[in-house]
Amino acid sequence: MYYITLRKEDWHHSLEKLLLTCDIFVPVKDEYSLDYEPFRLNEAEHISYNMPKPATPLKNFFLPVRENVTAGSDGRKPRIIIGAPNCDIEALLLLDEIYLDETFTDPYYRQRRNNTTLISFDCFGTNDHCHCLSYGVKPYSVEHADLALAADGDDICLRVITARGEEFATLLSPARKLNDTESVSFIEQKRQSVEASLAAKNKGLPDYHDTGQLVQKAGYAVWVKYASKCVSCGACTTICPTCSCFLLIDKPDFEKVKQMDACQYPGFERVAGGEDALFELPHRFRNRYMCKYVWKPQKFKHMACTGCGRCIEACIGKINKNELFMELT
Amino acid sequence: MTDNTNIYKPLRANLVDVIEESPLIKTFVLIPEREFVFSTGQFIELSVDGVGEAPFTPSSSPLVTDKLEVTVMKTGYVTNIMHELKPGAVMGIRGPYGRGYPVKSFEGKEVLILGGGCGLAPIRSLLFTLEHMKDKLEKVILCYGSKSPTDCIYKPLFSRLNSIDKFETYRTVDRTEEGWDGPVGVATALLDKIKVKIENSVAVVCGPPIMMKFGTIRILEMGYRDDQIYLSMEKNMSCGLGKCGHCMMGEFFVCKDGPVFTYKEIKHNPEIWK
Repeated sequence: MYYITLRKEDWHHSLEKLLLTCDIFVPVKDEYSLDYEPFRLNEAEHISYNMPKPATPLKNFFLPVRENVTAGSDGRKPRIIIGAPNCDIEALLLLDEIYLDETFTDPYYRQRRNNTTLISFDCFGTNDHCHCLSYGVKPYSVEHADLALAADGDDICLRVITARGEEFATLLSPARKLNDTESVSFIEQKRQSVEASLAAKNKGLPDYHDTGQLVQKAGYAVWVKYASKCVSCGACTTICPTCSCFLLIDKPDFEKVKQMDACQYPGFERVAGGEDALFELPHRFRNRYMCKYVWKPQKFKHMACTGCGRCIEACIGKINKNELFMELT
Repeated sequence: MTDNTNIYKPLRANLVDVIEESPLIKTFVLIPEREFVFSTGQFIELSVDGVGEAPFTPSSSPLVTDKLEVTVMKTGYVTNIMHELKPGAVMGIRGPYGRGYPVKSFEGKEVLILGGGCGLAPIRSLLFTLEHMKDKLEKVILCYGSKSPTDCIYKPLFSRLNSIDKFETYRTVDRTEEGWDGPVGVATALLDKIKVKIENSVAVVCGPPIMMKFGTIRILEMGYRDDQIYLSMEKNMSCGLGKCGHCMMGEFFVCKDGPVFTYKEIKHNPEIWK
């Protein structure tokens, strides 16, 4: 891992040149939200640097809401996704475990993963419900993105993390490699301030492991209480960077369409005879918590919640999972 | 195995015969476009073109690889339409998926099988396998219950099994009809009639959820250890690939980690009888 630096205008110019061969997505803030937009010529000034966090989770680039999984793949053109926060980068690891599983590899997911360069943004601020640090996820990427970017005024500083990142770095000019003695103190300062802010706003919140224990022990009454404000809309699972359940829909000529699904929707577990283990809303509501904090950790190596807080922001019933956990503590 | 470059793509299979087993149950005889190898207890996703697919454990012998039989109860949207299909139709198959019965470990043992209703379909496939390896088994006992004598599937199977050395079968019905002189009552009651050396035995339970639960409790009462009991679990196995999430039972994907589990593997999980 090493750092390179270049002037912002050179960075923008390099990206514009890459448009000839790649699809590029960047975060743009408008009056409503911050979200990914396709990068276009002469629009570089719209990029919002180092802000938390795009409304759309990173998973949507790899698991489209709906796709025909018996037709040819669309994902051949190389892609560069810029601005993913580290909570989303870490969330991809669980999706990799599920979709790149050796026995049954999803060819569509694999192709998209293989042709995508991920450039994460260090978070220089926090949103109301960000709580990555409580689960041991840093607000900056040092391991699983290809590169991570920190903008400092007119300069861009890139942490080169993977071999793919290194290859990408050669396409940037004129970039200068920082030697070991050159400090990137502004990055260090930002990290300290963001981590302090995360720690302050999430004081007392149990960590990922303890949350699992609390969820497992929780009595039915707490699920009834919090589910009373749930309308089973599925916003929490749709917006979650690790939720990846889907439905296969049959089309003529034995084609299959894969569509994202949610355990919060009625009928998710219903079988042909009509039995439905998740028929009651509190059972469905509890299922998401059990899945994220108890079952997935038992089954997979990577976390099923990286503390992005989007499910809290998206809930129309204003259900705050962290309040639920604090109540259980 | 279906397409190994695209896990979602079904193999086509010609429907060559439809056998009526009971008023609600039919067996579909299929010839897949390629050889289809499965092990007993594994399941497939069988689809009606453009309509939908559903999981079934083949009821035919795993030793036959050019032909596949799938026994289907008419019970929901897809199976209702499936029951309208006639020979000549083309169906789709994905699979085989999951973990079947570890029949190799049954060698030298007495095998007790408790089945109910359409649960006899996967059991028939298991019985074919056990028949093939009967020289290596001590005994095979089948206890089977159906709602009524008419609802009993594979009727000729029982007399055939009874004629095979080392095989015993017992039948009961919930509701009697004219001409039935056998026992009336739940399938678990048949367990009182049998003689089995429990310490050298395994028990297989396959049937509707209520029978699975009470059958397991009864078999435990008989003295079986939790690792001697094999359960074939039924969930909404939609993708079969351990991905779509519909069949999660606690930390398990029933489609990939099962559908056959020992009771020991899953007993800690209160979700299993839901």
